[in-house]
Amino acid sequence: MSTPVLELRQATKKYAGVPAIEDVDFTLLNGEVHALVGENGAGKSTLTKVMAGVVTLTSGQMLVDGREAAPRTPNEARDLGIAMVFQENSLVPTMTVAQNLFLGQEKFFNRLRGIYIAAQQFLQSLNFDVAPTATVSLLGAAKKQMVEIARAVLHNAKVIIFDEPTASLTPEEKKYFFDLVRDLKKRGVSVIFISHALEEALLIADRITVLRDGKHVVTDDAAKFDRARIVQAMVGRDLSQTLYGQRKTTVRPPGKRVLSVQNLRMASMVKNNSLSVFAGQITGVFGLVGAGRTETFKVVAGVIKRDFFHGGEVLLHDKPVRYRVPAPAVRDGIAYITEDRKVEGFFETMSIARNVYIGQLAKLRGKGGLISNAAAKLLGETWAKALNIRAISADVKAVELSGGNQQKMVIAKSLVQEPELVIFDEPTRGVDVGAIAEIHRLINDLADQGKAVVVISSYLPEVMSLSDRILVSRQGKVVEEYSALEASEEKIMYAAIH
Amino acid sequence: MIAALKDFTDRFFGRGEAAITVPPFDGALKPNQLLEAAAVVCELESPEDLASDGASVWIADGHRILRLEGGRPAEVAVLDAPITALAALPGGGFAVALDGRAVRIVGGAHDGRTWDAADGRPFNAINALSATPDGKLLATDGSQNRPYAQWSHDLMELGRSGRLIELMPADGGAREIATGLSYAFGACATADGVWVSESWRHRLVSFNGGKAGTTVLDRLPAYPSRLTPAAGGGYWLTAFIARTQLVEFILREPSYRKRMMAEIDPRHWVAPALGASTTFLEPMQGAHIKTMGILKPWAPPRSYGLVMRLTPQGLVRYSLHSRIDGQNHGVVAAVDCAGALFVLSKGRRRLLRLDVADIEGSLQA
Repeated sequence: MSTPVLELRQATKKYAGVPAIEDVDFTLLNGEVHALVGENGAGKSTLTKVMAGVVTLTSGQMLVDGREAAPRTPNEARDLGIAMVFQENSLVPTMTVAQNLFLGQEKFFNRLRGIYIAAQQFLQSLNFDVAPTATVSLLGAAKKQMVEIARAVLHNAKVIIFDEPTASLTPEEKKYFFDLVRDLKKRGVSVIFISHALEEALLIADRITVLRDGKHVVTDDAAKFDRARIVQAMVGRDLSQTLYGQRKTTVRPPGKRVLSVQNLRMASMVKNNSLSVFAGQITGVFGLVGAGRTETFKVVAGVIKRDFFHGGEVLLHDKPVRYRVPAPAVRDGIAYITEDRKVEGFFETMSIARNVYIGQLAKLRGKGGLISNAAAKLLGETWAKALNIRAISADVKAVELSGGNQQKMVIAKSLVQEPELVIFDEPTRGVDVGAIAEIHRLINDLADQGKAVVVISSYLPEVMSLSDRILVSRQGKVVEEYSALEASEEKIMYAAIH
Repeated sequence: MIAALKDFTDRFFGRGEAAITVPPFDGALKPNQLLEAAAVVCELESPEDLASDGASVWIADGHRILRLEGGRPAEVAVLDAPITALAALPGGGFAVALDGRAVRIVGGAHDGRTWDAADGRPFNAINALSATPDGKLLATDGSQNRPYAQWSHDLMELGRSGRLIELMPADGGAREIATGLSYAFGACATADGVWVSESWRHRLVSFNGGKAGTTVLDRLPAYPSRLTPAAGGGYWLTAFIARTQLVEFILREPSYRKRMMAEIDPRHWVAPALGASTTFLEPMQGAHIKTMGILKPWAPPRSYGLVMRLTPQGLVRYSLHSRIDGQNHGVVAAVDCAGALFVLSKGRRRLLRLDVADIEGSLQA
């Protein structure tokens, strides 16, 4: 483990003159697992995109196996033996799993059956339960992630970069993933692992590098770190206690029932599900992937439809509602903040201001077709300031923002609609600890203002630290409810699994 | 025409009024075992109602009025008909409903005053009485069509003939405050009018002068019954049975109900009950469900025990339950007295006692 397989010296990348990374030195040794941690906007993604050939350095040097290299495309990086598994998946949704795996490696006489057989054998060797013939658009987030990982492994890369690989995996799938990483390490593959789940970084990594505001802060053996030291290095202050460490000692009393879901059915995902949500409280919804949480609340918000026959009832303020599209739900005061922000949350080529303005337009009806650029700009600036969205200006395109800032923009886009019921689906997925604290504060403020707030999360500490009451979902229905005062991780996980 | 078409499509697709759904027991209504674990004060013969003046607790048991003394019931009075409702009067004495067809004052300043009709219509199923701070009495007449004992007949007929009545002991007057209620069962004077339980519509309605009420608490997962003020503010609301999808389904099938009522013994109807029976003739006792590939015996629940503590605004603050596998079902009355809550389980013919401070302590733990 002494030869650096990959090295960056004084690496600097600037966007419109603003440095995303600045004078960063980074060394990846042969056969090591190297965790890269930092707040959103710290420069982790930029650093790894440089390595993967997605962007090129403004100044500085990159060395692969001691030789200078400057990959300009992901293909060139792949030729150098560097593959990246992106945080937001980069699969072709209309193709099958097998076609995605072998995309770019097709033979002249491409035989689908042969591809399927090869893909099946390969996926089985990785212990991934994914059908090679399945169309990617029909897969859940976890399975898409598996295909991404499998594709990187398939390319026999000597460096694999994982950007938030475990964010959408269940605990069992995470275990498989860690076994896979250990297996890659044994085979001499070097792994760069970006994660906001610090426990995972501590568990799996040999060394950890912390970045802050685009600059290198510290690199050390993982054994010499603990959670508090990483967090302090990441944010320059001790956040570990304020984030998840504190247990609730009081809960907000319930106000009026805002939402009642009664015997809801939606295909095989939601099975006779019933629950209530009350004003002035945060209702946490925990469950493993496939527990039907997202689908239930998507039905509530009109994003998807319930069963045509005997689909159950959704009552808003005790009045039955049946939304076929989201617009009337938005007008009735329901905001659903998606778990998949890149696909469903915003328009990536539009500015922050326009994205937020679109949120406001969605609430209006019959106001004519006049769109005011000045109003959009003002709105964008107001919300960027209110939610501390860090960008050069409100005119910056959404795609250029970091994950945490994108999430805050998506939240702003919904809050501008002045909702009564706010549904957050995985609000801090792929978001750094600094932004997590800000988003949590925002969620708490909404409940304190008397709004009914729902937080769907697969991360137990998040559910426990935020919620006043916790609903546990399993196999398409709510199976248990706990007050935050009586809940424990063991109780919740037991209900979610058994 | 459009309404009729909508009714038809709703029935076809199982939507709107035809959606056979039941609100969940969650939030402040989350089930617990507090009622099931309550101390049993005594077993009774035919209990109907409770009353308290803040110092003592009285029980209506068949023809008798009992007073709780040192934890044991002692007979205070015997009347000439079964008592269906009881209220303690602020100036001393009681108001009692006799067989649901008359209300009489027993003791106190207006001893012997009797009412048997309001606005020209005779009482039929008086099931709750409550004294108001201004010296009047509130009475609920559950149904004009069925006597008190036949409440399940009224449910199966989707009865809407309940009344809320105001009685004036001072001059013997009586007037209807509201009519056409879907089984009125319990009323209480509050700061913003009179609240009444409308059982078959699973709600509490407030009346304040006008004939049309405003809904205080709607879409309960149970059938509400009597309502009494709670020490420290708010109210105790009892619910004598819980709603189930099976009964909701039956209530949307008029021909099935008609035939069931004509041909089957009421004890064996697919209908709610105050308590579980042991007869194998009970509906669907031989049913089963398949879970994880294993066939398991199962029967739909028919009875439940529930008491709700309401805030002065009518929100449920917390609740006490005897779940479907419990015993203390068919709860029809709850009163608090000197820091204790007394609950009448009519289904099990028991008087239960709980310490209010203990309840609140255990729910906060």
